[in-house]
Amino acid sequence: MAPRKRKVSQSAKKSSGSSRRWLPYVLAVMVWGAVAVGVWCVWIDYQVREDFRELQWALPGRIYARPMELYEGAHIAQSELTGYLQRLGYRQTPQPQRAGEFSVSTGRVQLRTRGFQFWDGAEPSLFIDVTFDGRRVFSLRGEAASPLALARLDPIEIAQINPETGEDRLPLTMEEVPPPLVQALIAVEDQRFYTHYGVDPIGIARALVANIVGGGYVQGGSTLTQQLVKNLYLTRERTLRRKIEEAVMAVALELHFSKEEILTAYLNEVYLGQDGNRAIHGFALAAEHYFARPLKELALDELALLAGLPRGASFYNPLRHPERATTRRNVVLAAMRDSDYITSSQYESASAAPLLVQSARPARSGGYPAFMELVYRDLERDYDKEALRTEGLRIFTTLDINAQTVLEATLDKSVTAVERKTSGAAAPLEAAVVITDASTGEVRALAGSRKSGYTGFNRALKAVRPIGSLVKPAVYLAALESPDFHLATVLSDEAISMKLPNGDLWQPKNYDETEEGDVYLYDALQRSLNLATVDLGMKLGLHKVADMLARLGYSKAIQPFPSLLLGAIEMAPLEVAQIYQSLASNGFRSPLRTVEAVTTAEGKPLEYYGIGTEQAADPASVFLLEHTLQGVFERGTARTVASRFPNNLPLAGKTGTTNDLRDSWFAGYGEDLVGVVWLGYDDNRASGLTGATGALRVWTDLMTQLDIQPRQTQAPQDVQWEQIPLFAVRDAERRDCSTTLPLPFRSNRLPDVGWSCEVNDSFFQRILERFKEPGQ
Amino acid sequence: MICRQALVLLALTLSSGCSSLVDTYGKRAPVEEIGTGAPAVVVPAQPPQPEAPVPRREPLPVPAPAPTAPSVLEPAPATPASTLLISVDQAIAANDLDRAAALCERALRIMPRDGKLWYKLATIRYMQGRYADAQGFAQRALSLAGADALLQRDINVLLEQVTAAL
Repeated sequence: MAPRKRKVSQSAKKSSGSSRRWLPYVLAVMVWGAVAVGVWCVWIDYQVREDFRELQWALPGRIYARPMELYEGAHIAQSELTGYLQRLGYRQTPQPQRAGEFSVSTGRVQLRTRGFQFWDGAEPSLFIDVTFDGRRVFSLRGEAASPLALARLDPIEIAQINPETGEDRLPLTMEEVPPPLVQALIAVEDQRFYTHYGVDPIGIARALVANIVGGGYVQGGSTLTQQLVKNLYLTRERTLRRKIEEAVMAVALELHFSKEEILTAYLNEVYLGQDGNRAIHGFALAAEHYFARPLKELALDELALLAGLPRGASFYNPLRHPERATTRRNVVLAAMRDSDYITSSQYESASAAPLLVQSARPARSGGYPAFMELVYRDLERDYDKEALRTEGLRIFTTLDINAQTVLEATLDKSVTAVERKTSGAAAPLEAAVVITDASTGEVRALAGSRKSGYTGFNRALKAVRPIGSLVKPAVYLAALESPDFHLATVLSDEAISMKLPNGDLWQPKNYDETEEGDVYLYDALQRSLNLATVDLGMKLGLHKVADMLARLGYSKAIQPFPSLLLGAIEMAPLEVAQIYQSLASNGFRSPLRTVEAVTTAEGKPLEYYGIGTEQAADPASVFLLEHTLQGVFERGTARTVASRFPNNLPLAGKTGTTNDLRDSWFAGYGEDLVGVVWLGYDDNRASGLTGATGALRVWTDLMTQLDIQPRQTQAPQDVQWEQIPLFAVRDAERRDCSTTLPLPFRSNRLPDVGWSCEVNDSFFQRILERFKEPGQ
Repeated sequence: MICRQALVLLALTLSSGCSSLVDTYGKRAPVEEIGTGAPAVVVPAQPPQPEAPVPRREPLPVPAPAPTAPSVLEPAPATPASTLLISVDQAIAANDLDRAAALCERALRIMPRDGKLWYKLATIRYMQGRYADAQGFAQRALSLAGADALLQRDINVLLEQVTAAL
């Protein structure tokens, strides 16, 4: 009101001839002025009330990796668990007493989980005692050595989707705020918070005196309520008018809302630092940012440090200015002691505590860009960008942190090891990797480049390349499903030339340009013989191959040219992974997924994206195919790496090489994982690598570290084993049963009697074995 | 003894009216009553006992009251899957089928070759009226049933129901 009044009286003076005559006018102006100010106050009051009531912060979407599940026999090494706990910000202590602590001894980890609200229910805070045997969990016990079947750890946050404002916060309720934090704030910022009405004249006077005595700005007289208003309306203006407005707003807030509501809003709103383009708002997030732990786990000295930050978050930034921050912390502690919130001895020990800040988890908002691109793609079907940025949704993904970490730590080195050094400074050999769960279709790890954290072209999703021999399992599976073929069908691996619809002559060749003559079907696949595959595919029919690819999960149109049989079809590594996923799932297609569930910020489930599964191929035929693909490691194109898998075979897989050695592929699977590796140049020049000399080696480096588990597929009931002559000949009379090989067959599709070596040579042996079985 | 157990189980399964797979697992243990936000903690009070062969009945996938933990049963060691299945049945009883499916899938991630788990998931999807999904899961269950004739029969019954519903 003051400035207007002054103005009015000045103008009154100037033009005054007779003050008595002007008095009514002066009074009228004053009344109108008062009315105007009154209206202004009412308007501000209304505005503040509405704004505060509707106070809904834009909350970034939070994205989590798959939580680690502990149970006896779980495939987890001790170092993986401790690494996981460190990523969660758990503290290593001699004996875990509080949630978020763990201890480590030889072959044993004890921990106290924090508990978490998952989409399928709450996981309580638990004490867990885990022992290890090699790379497996040996035992799992709870409190007082009680048996514990299963425990799910808190999930690791891997990224967040920030609002346009760049603001980030983790909203708290008053119950979640540790009392010492509130005490510290009140002691240092606003001692009469619980008694004033939004502004504190005593505080202002005290600050004024302090500033005059100190000869500059020493102390502020703003109450917490005023600071909240300042934070809410975000102006840097420091004019008198602004101050008055803030004071009026503060009083208005106090009129309509309780101290607790105001304090809660303050604790969530106040600006406490900057992390790149992300503004840290509120104490919960500040705790994570500076200490990488939840607020409730912080000690007195740490809480005091945070309480000192509102005064100047960048000036007192403990990561940049640890000394200033320590001094400020001790000022806060002293204020707490002076207000009798803490004892002198508490003060002594807390102010002597070393400053142990730790920059928040490294890749919080920029981690795993390749995987995140796929997450966004999956989420966009159901959520618009704005909802993801502002509603604080929790998104639970299928990412396996351990697998992704291994992938990122290994890939670049591994690619360097196989790379053929070429002259010139052209772009380096590139890579893409997709790792999925072998039975559920969940994407466990992804690399879109050989360089981890690369945010550019995501080759796993977008590098669409010819797949070469990776197509062959689809050709052979289609054949095995048809009544005309089995693993011992004799194919002709001989030169062939075909006239294509466009008049061109197509003359495929084997990789080494030889011809093998008569070969078994299984052998042709294991050795990846092109000519025999063309022989098979042309007898079978190209449309059957195209149909099989579609059933296994390839969704684009397929041109059924003969060259399709040798992989003249372009796919991204992710599309290849879908096809091999269906093979690894024994012929059941489960769509690849990255998002498992979405909940609200409070944990209320919104969406659960369950496993899907549809039968794509006949499981018995898939079994025959898998048996053959296992042979790829034993005697086929992947035999060179067999010795690197002493405890992991059998595994199934296939190499792929394209014309002029442009692309090097390997796709393979064990019991638990499917992995697809692609190597090649972005400009499509020759890599000089076959599938076996390039991608297979990278795949092996990855899968040995991930300790891929051997396949355990049991033969379906309609599959039986037959001995066949080792060498394929077309003439049954010339078959040689002196050396035989057991192969699986579908009971209704056995080799001709004249072919099998069973009847003549091992019939009695089989009967004998049948009698032996019960005793074994 | 085994016979008596089997009879008790038969009676219980019939009365529960739920096609729960608890019977086929034979691994139900007395548990602390857990709410819907069930922590996955099961505490067997006694050492493991051999499983009793349990007569099975036709699956009738309709929601039913929660099977209560019968104290007459000897406890078996809790496995991750059996623990989760208890929560699955509780979720089914509470008609929270999405949660039941999610818990079932959690068990499947641990034991992906367990035909009974796939069958369980198929019955949940059937209850939800998601027949195409139910069919896929049931077929997958069948491919993993091995020589378990009883399981095969149950799955085939479900597949008939699904086919009729599709």
